[in-house]
Amino acid sequence: MKKILLIFIISFNFYAELVLEITESATKPIKIAILEKNNNSLVGQEIIEIISNDLKRTGEFEVLAFDELLSVPLNEKEVIQRDWLLLDVDSIVFIEVQNENTDLDISYSIFDVSYNDTEDKRRVLGLPDSLRQSSHYVSDGIYKFFYGIDGISSTRLMYVTRTSNIHRLIISDSDGFNEQVLLKSNSSIISPAWSNDAEQIAYVSFENNRAQVFTQDLASGKRELILSSKASVSSPAWSPNDKELAFASTKDGNSEIYVINLKDKKIIRLTENIAIDTEPAWSPDGKKIIFTSDRSGSPQIYEIDVRTKLKRRLTTEGSYNARASFLNKNEIVLVHRSAMDFNIASLNLNTRELSVLTSTKNDESPCIAPNGNVIIYSTKDGNLSYLAGINLSSKVSFKLPALYGELKEPAWSPFIR
Amino acid sequence: MKNILISILSIFFIFACSSTPVEKVDVQETKTVDLTATQEQKSDDDVVMNNVEVGEAYVTILFDYDDDTLREDSLSELFEISRLMKSNSKYTLLVEGHADERGTREYNLALSERRAKAVEDFLTATGVSSFNIEVVGYGEEMPVDAKSNEDAWSKNRRAELFFIK
Repeated sequence: MKKILLIFIISFNFYAELVLEITESATKPIKIAILEKNNNSLVGQEIIEIISNDLKRTGEFEVLAFDELLSVPLNEKEVIQRDWLLLDVDSIVFIEVQNENTDLDISYSIFDVSYNDTEDKRRVLGLPDSLRQSSHYVSDGIYKFFYGIDGISSTRLMYVTRTSNIHRLIISDSDGFNEQVLLKSNSSIISPAWSNDAEQIAYVSFENNRAQVFTQDLASGKRELILSSKASVSSPAWSPNDKELAFASTKDGNSEIYVINLKDKKIIRLTENIAIDTEPAWSPDGKKIIFTSDRSGSPQIYEIDVRTKLKRRLTTEGSYNARASFLNKNEIVLVHRSAMDFNIASLNLNTRELSVLTSTKNDESPCIAPNGNVIIYSTKDGNLSYLAGINLSSKVSFKLPALYGELKEPAWSPFIR
Repeated sequence: MKNILISILSIFFIFACSSTPVEKVDVQETKTVDLTATQEQKSDDDVVMNNVEVGEAYVTILFDYDDDTLREDSLSELFEISRLMKSNSKYTLLVEGHADERGTREYNLALSERRAKAVEDFLTATGVSSFNIEVVGYGEEMPVDAKSNEDAWSKNRRAELFFIK
């Protein structure tokens, strides 16, 4: 019976776990078509499908299907402008695949229909087994051409799933493909965090019946317990230069914020009071740490200067503000309780203006895409957690329902290129 | 015609232009760590049974929302525990703190540990040695009721007390 169960679980893993559903599209998505230049190859079709899906997933593009086209030009010269204007198409993306020797390169050019002219031409160098990733690079290039913001199709997501009592820490491509299990455990795993060079991760594991922080090298799987203690150690946060890790621990009796130098293991204690201090996050310049503290009687966000230890309170609105992280140097994203619901909100540090960004209930664990424009968070509907997201500039919202079990604790990779 | 000419010219220009931006694709490699093969389920052998069933807490103490103060209705049970422990100093008590699912996981972890600590503080105040008490916080990770309503939440905001050897 045990064996059957195992096979069942393993075979499940071949499916992409992240299926994205757009819940609210952009008001005016950009309409494009993607065609293979001077060819109609199988690999070309595969690439076009990956790119189309990437762009559709943003909610900011409408990609015409082959059977919606009025004419199919093989190259820019064959474009009948009238046909495309009639369909209200903004641009045609021509893809060229160079499959020589052991390389698989993709060239692409963006042909603007109203100007009747090629606007941009780029090339992505890859290998046959990196076809998906090469295609994502093309998607990101197209996204940036139209929106001026770096695309995130080539980034990766880390998250925790739970099926019966097996917890898995997983990373996958941002479209859910190429799923890799980093840690499989009988105990909870929370607060996964990417190092800024994307080579290591840190997380909290309860495998020894209490919260402990481990770092893990992605390539080798080598794990390291960052601090051996009888007390709980949790909430790891990599410093911008990856040399230090901020964390929360009750090792001195009460939950406080510490910073450990990962090389010499020297620990600095940052907070000192009888309240809960937890959930540290670094400012982009690495000089400050923001954290959650209930020293005022309810959880609120504070900021501390790592060198001078000067503190100031950042949130004033509401009775529950927690798990903050920097969106940019002037804005933070946090979990805010509004009336009875917990939502994701942003706070402008200059104007102190708080904006609630989500309308689902019991939202937590917000993580920000490396382009600073998309937030994924964990939410709950019924008894199961799933992931949902919002695009800050286009207001597109989407969800990533778990195909089985629970899906929670998302963490977005930095740019991997 | 003019348009086509321009586009042909521009295509020529683009082809002639050797500075097409080029990117190289990186593929990440990772390795799986599997603890489930070696990891034992939390052993129940360590728990001393005093007329309680296997894996069941000796006493469960409930708390209010975002609060770690002991309720008056918990005190009689805690006095009973205190009496038991003082009469037999071999007993070691494990106090597990828990939180409901509302709010963030990390804050709940700290809150749950503070609940467990509140139990410890009460017992030490009544004369039990803190050497005989172990405290651990599990946050919202181990709910007794996974539903999302006040009834479930009120059951999940708890400290569970076990006697261990």
